[in-house]
Amino acid sequence: MEATTYNYKVVRQFAIMTVVWGIVGMLVGVIIAAQLIWPDITYGIEWLSYGRLRPLHTNAVIFAFGGSALFATSLYVVQRTCQTRLLSDGLASFVFWGWQLIIVLAAVTLVLGITTSKEYAELEWPIDVLIAVVWVAYAVLFFGTIVKRKTKYIYVANWFFGAYIVTIALLHIVNSMAFPVTLTKSYSMYAGVHDAMVQWWYGHNAVGFFLTTAFLGMMYYFVPKQAGRPIYSYRLSIVHFWTLNFIYMWAGPHHLLYTALPDWAQSLGMIFSLMLIAPSWGGMINGIMTLSGAWHKLRTDPILKFLIVALSFYGMSTFEGPMMSVKTVNALSHYTEWTIGHVHSGALGWVAMISIGSLYYLIPRLFGREEMWSVRLINVHFWWSTIGVVLYIASMWIAGVAQGLMWRATNDDGTLTYSFAQSVNAMYPFYTIRLIGGTMFFAGMLLMAYNVWKTIAAGRVVNDARIPEAVHA
Amino acid sequence: MDILYLLIPLSLVFVAVIAAFFLWAVKSGQFEDMEGPAHRILMDDDLPEEGKRGAQQKSDENAR
Amino acid sequence: MSALPAPDPQHCFHCGEPVPHGASYPIRVGQDIRPACCRGCQAVAQTILDSGNADYYRLRTELPKTPEAALEELKKLQLYDLPEVQQSFVRSEGHIREASLILEGIVCAACIWLNERHLQQLPGVIAADINFSTHRARVRWDDTRIKLSDILKAVQEIGYHAYPFDTSRQEELFRKERNAAIRRLAIAGLGMMQVMMYAVPVYLADAGTMTHDIEMLMRWASLILTTPVVFYSSAPFFLGAWRDFKMGRVGMDVPVALGVGLAYAASVWATWIQSGEVYFDSVTMFVFFLLTGRFLEMNARKKSAEAAESLIKLIPAATVRLPGYPACREEETLAAVKLSPGDHVMVGAGESFPADGRVVEGASSVDESLLTGESRPVDKHVGSPVIGGTLNLASPLVVRVERIGADTVLSGIVRLLDRALAEKPRLAVLADRFAAWFVLGLLVAAAGTALAWYSVDPQRAFWITVSVLVVSCPCALSLATPAALTAALGRLTRLGLLSTRGHALETLARATDFVFDKTGTLTTGEFKLVEVEVVRGSREEALALAAALEQGATHPVAQALREAAGGNRRHAVNLRYVPGQGVAGEIDGRTYRLGAPEYVAPGRESGLRAGLTAVGLADEAGLIAWFGLGDALRPQAKALVERLRRMGMRLHLYSGDRPQNVLALARELGIEDARGGMRPEDKLAAVKALQAQGRVVVMTGDGVNDAPVLAQAQVSVAVDQGAEAAQAAADMVLLSSELSRLADGVHMARKTRVVIRQNLTWSVAYNVLALPAAAMGYVTPWLAGIGMSLSSLLVVLNALRLAKAPRQ
Repeated sequence: MEATTYNYKVVRQFAIMTVVWGIVGMLVGVIIAAQLIWPDITYGIEWLSYGRLRPLHTNAVIFAFGGSALFATSLYVVQRTCQTRLLSDGLASFVFWGWQLIIVLAAVTLVLGITTSKEYAELEWPIDVLIAVVWVAYAVLFFGTIVKRKTKYIYVANWFFGAYIVTIALLHIVNSMAFPVTLTKSYSMYAGVHDAMVQWWYGHNAVGFFLTTAFLGMMYYFVPKQAGRPIYSYRLSIVHFWTLNFIYMWAGPHHLLYTALPDWAQSLGMIFSLMLIAPSWGGMINGIMTLSGAWHKLRTDPILKFLIVALSFYGMSTFEGPMMSVKTVNALSHYTEWTIGHVHSGALGWVAMISIGSLYYLIPRLFGREEMWSVRLINVHFWWSTIGVVLYIASMWIAGVAQGLMWRATNDDGTLTYSFAQSVNAMYPFYTIRLIGGTMFFAGMLLMAYNVWKTIAAGRVVNDARIPEAVHA
Repeated sequence: MDILYLLIPLSLVFVAVIAAFFLWAVKSGQFEDMEGPAHRILMDDDLPEEGKRGAQQKSDENAR
Repeated sequence: MSALPAPDPQHCFHCGEPVPHGASYPIRVGQDIRPACCRGCQAVAQTILDSGNADYYRLRTELPKTPEAALEELKKLQLYDLPEVQQSFVRSEGHIREASLILEGIVCAACIWLNERHLQQLPGVIAADINFSTHRARVRWDDTRIKLSDILKAVQEIGYHAYPFDTSRQEELFRKERNAAIRRLAIAGLGMMQVMMYAVPVYLADAGTMTHDIEMLMRWASLILTTPVVFYSSAPFFLGAWRDFKMGRVGMDVPVALGVGLAYAASVWATWIQSGEVYFDSVTMFVFFLLTGRFLEMNARKKSAEAAESLIKLIPAATVRLPGYPACREEETLAAVKLSPGDHVMVGAGESFPADGRVVEGASSVDESLLTGESRPVDKHVGSPVIGGTLNLASPLVVRVERIGADTVLSGIVRLLDRALAEKPRLAVLADRFAAWFVLGLLVAAAGTALAWYSVDPQRAFWITVSVLVVSCPCALSLATPAALTAALGRLTRLGLLSTRGHALETLARATDFVFDKTGTLTTGEFKLVEVEVVRGSREEALALAAALEQGATHPVAQALREAAGGNRRHAVNLRYVPGQGVAGEIDGRTYRLGAPEYVAPGRESGLRAGLTAVGLADEAGLIAWFGLGDALRPQAKALVERLRRMGMRLHLYSGDRPQNVLALARELGIEDARGGMRPEDKLAAVKALQAQGRVVVMTGDGVNDAPVLAQAQVSVAVDQGAEAAQAAADMVLLSSELSRLADGVHMARKTRVVIRQNLTWSVAYNVLALPAAAMGYVTPWLAGIGMSLSSLLVVLNALRLAKAPRQ
């Protein structure tokens, strides 16, 4: 007997957890931002020290918040656009609970100080193995659903999700190769500059495929749906997909400018980073132009505001990024707060806002309501988030440039004008503004949680949506 | 830079996989209609509590 | 659920037309009742709603046409179930069948959604998908559970029409060709980007920063990536060169194949012996850009071919014959291919004519847009010719078949198009011949370069020779002309002006004189009321009286007067006909006379212009009005003459008509050189006289009577639509009834000439500059590849402008 409904259960679970982990991850972010102003705010408890909370923050927002958002949306989109139920409900449950287990284990081990010390891949080998298993299950679930699709064409959003799933699997496995020593300690299989190269090949592509490609998949579904208009150019979206994937792979070395990496490898990273602007902006224009002829919707629809502003931040940071990979710019920006600002314009402006917009679209549909409990609150959330992001990146931008200039300033006799401590001192006002911005964004998430709670509480008996029709007789 | 002896062959394999994917996509006609898929997702009503009478009828008929 | 459109009692829920007063066609929408304008809309809307597809009304962005109330009878659709009918368009595997359908009535994406859903909901239909760009559906069904006729009927029930069509002709072929081209292009593109990855670091690395073994590793990677680009993506170039070689010709594929082959072979060798230069990046880039150019050209070609293709799509597969007509009306259905001339066929409303023929019973309007590009339906009555493939819109017609199969207008037109495509335009032939010489010269130059460098610096000789070969490859030169012609021809065909000879367009561009061979070209050819001279009373009143007097008559004057009077007809009694003179009768107690001037008002002259037939109307008190009847000007005749004159054309009207008619017409249009009463040989002499002065003459005509004159003129255009067009000896055929297309043609032709000149100038100038530079060794193969490819691409893109050129 063929299933007549979609599997919304797993989508609901991940959607809720997206909100939960978003709050947790951003709270940790707010705490470490405060620690930079008031270092003793956690009373010197070692588990809550900056060094341990920082990886917790990155892991929580990227893999717990972003990851859950991607699981929720990709599993929703693949079912709806293929007009078929997920390959297996059991596998779906396994992916959900497995991923939650990974998040909890990560939170515990990182706080305890158990880490591989590879950025964005801090988790120790047992968790890495678990990630690999869950990820393969996810891949089987996703691609299996595509294989049994009822439609001829595979919608472009699924192409993006598919590329992300395959690539992340490969990146994770290659980068996490390690010799285990004990249950909580291992050594990377690569040494020295090789390890750095592999690590940044991973680190860069994790950004590329986890935080860009996958969220573009989200964009290609939710922007047209919310706007009620087809994507501006489907042809462009296909070209966008292939060029982005061809080029992204190679821009990794720009994370290692001015390091032991050979000069030619650095220059290569720079050139390919610059080439990336073309497909990135192609995608952004494609998304924004979807609204052409319906711009008025932007005035009244806060969900659309979230999505379109997210695209604008995407365009901004994909321009900023390649600029920062130019060696001369990088000489100023590297290791400064500018990088933090750049990351957050992407992470808050693009990733978080597109996820939030998509969730506001999803939640009512998942819980049998026509719209969120309060549209006004969405609007408030939108403004808090936007102002928060702007405060955040503007302060970090100024801070970064100031920092870079202070570090390189020399006296006539060649000695440094400023000591390092002086440059740290100069950061206080900017850190404070950043904390305000970050807190606003975090508070927005609380509003969202309240709105979601009310929406669910007022929801009627929850029925999974029907698959349009079983074509086979 | 011995690591390149791993990374370059790996990337060649990757390129081959991408190419195979692309060729499959062409073969299965994914690029034949460059407008339809964009419209099709919009035509899929996903608002809850929708009486899908047509689908109901069909499945009734099929059950017979 | 966002709501359905708000209730509106004034307008039809389905089609949005105003609901006629007093009409009551309620539609049940859930709990509500909405109005419809007619039974057709009511039935269609109810079907859509009851099958659970109410979303259609929410999703649609355009309103549909009002469906006809009477659906085609199932019996007629059942024709499509006949095996002999199905064999041309249905593929079957066991009892699973698959067919392609053309859908009509699609106005927005929601229509496609609706049709797709509706088809998929039919029990027995396995799959149904519709291409949004082409409006074609592919349907698979289980023949034991549902018949094709049921599927077609289901489409009708929701207000659309579906026709099966035969995909075998070019469609499938083109699909394969396009897919192969995409694959080649993608492999080349992928190869190019990846090879660049490995090439760029080598260029970037300062001396000593990249170790030898890493460089070698990168070379091997490039080699692996380039190999499929050379052996798969560039296969067409090698095959082309090989064909040329076997036939002893030198085409433009030769230097491409040589360049790619040599550069690849040498790079492989350099990789193997681990020294020297490699140019894998140049090879892949060169191939990628060349393929891009070809791909664009192919799409332009496809667009031109599509215009022709669409002509043959709609010949119905089955038809209803009346074997005993007119004695008995017993019907039988058979495959259209089995018809023979003399058969009578019944063509219902909404059906296409299976062959060319003449109406013997009934009156209807016919959509000939397929042939003429005109959306306005054409009226048909007893005696009218009909063309196979056109669509009968209003009511059933009985048609006597006159021409079938290869003799039909459509087949004729398709043949003409094939001829035009097969015949290489003289310019293109010239360009090809020139390119052949150029290639020969190039090969000689390359050999000379090789020899010269070998004596000077043997190490550089090889790569410089390759550069010379690549940089000066005359691809741009060979593409310059055909690309422009293809784009322009496609555009013109879509406008309804068909070129049947390769040279037509280029000669048209040089034309200086435009000769209309008869008045009929500029007039509608129908007897119409052209002028009214009112002596007493109003124009309307006079026309109403005249129409009343002619109420029962069938002669052309009566028809024209009735038509001009329109609906407000009075009633006449006691009609007395005076043969050859006119008619007298009483209206509201007064006696009127209508007819020839001598009969109505002896001794009075009308003030109507010369060339018109004058008809007078008088009562007891004397003359009321003169009606001037004659051939009316075509609506766009004036505009055409005006535009042609502004383009610098001299206009002539050489007609066999009575001189005063011709002169009157010429005066009205402003044609200076107008002569009447000319016999074909006079026309021939006149055209020859023009040509003796060095003029380039375009001659329009009907293409049959005036064959010698048409042949004498440099370009001939057949302007009569329909049957004659197929036999035309003309170089061009105007399918559209819009005369101004002729001016568009001239405009387009001139524009094409400009583009060809630009293209040729560019490619020659490029070669003149690039060849010496390469021969002197200033150009690496890498640069040469870019230069050559970009120059070809530029030429193709420039030509593509023509396909989009806006009408003046």
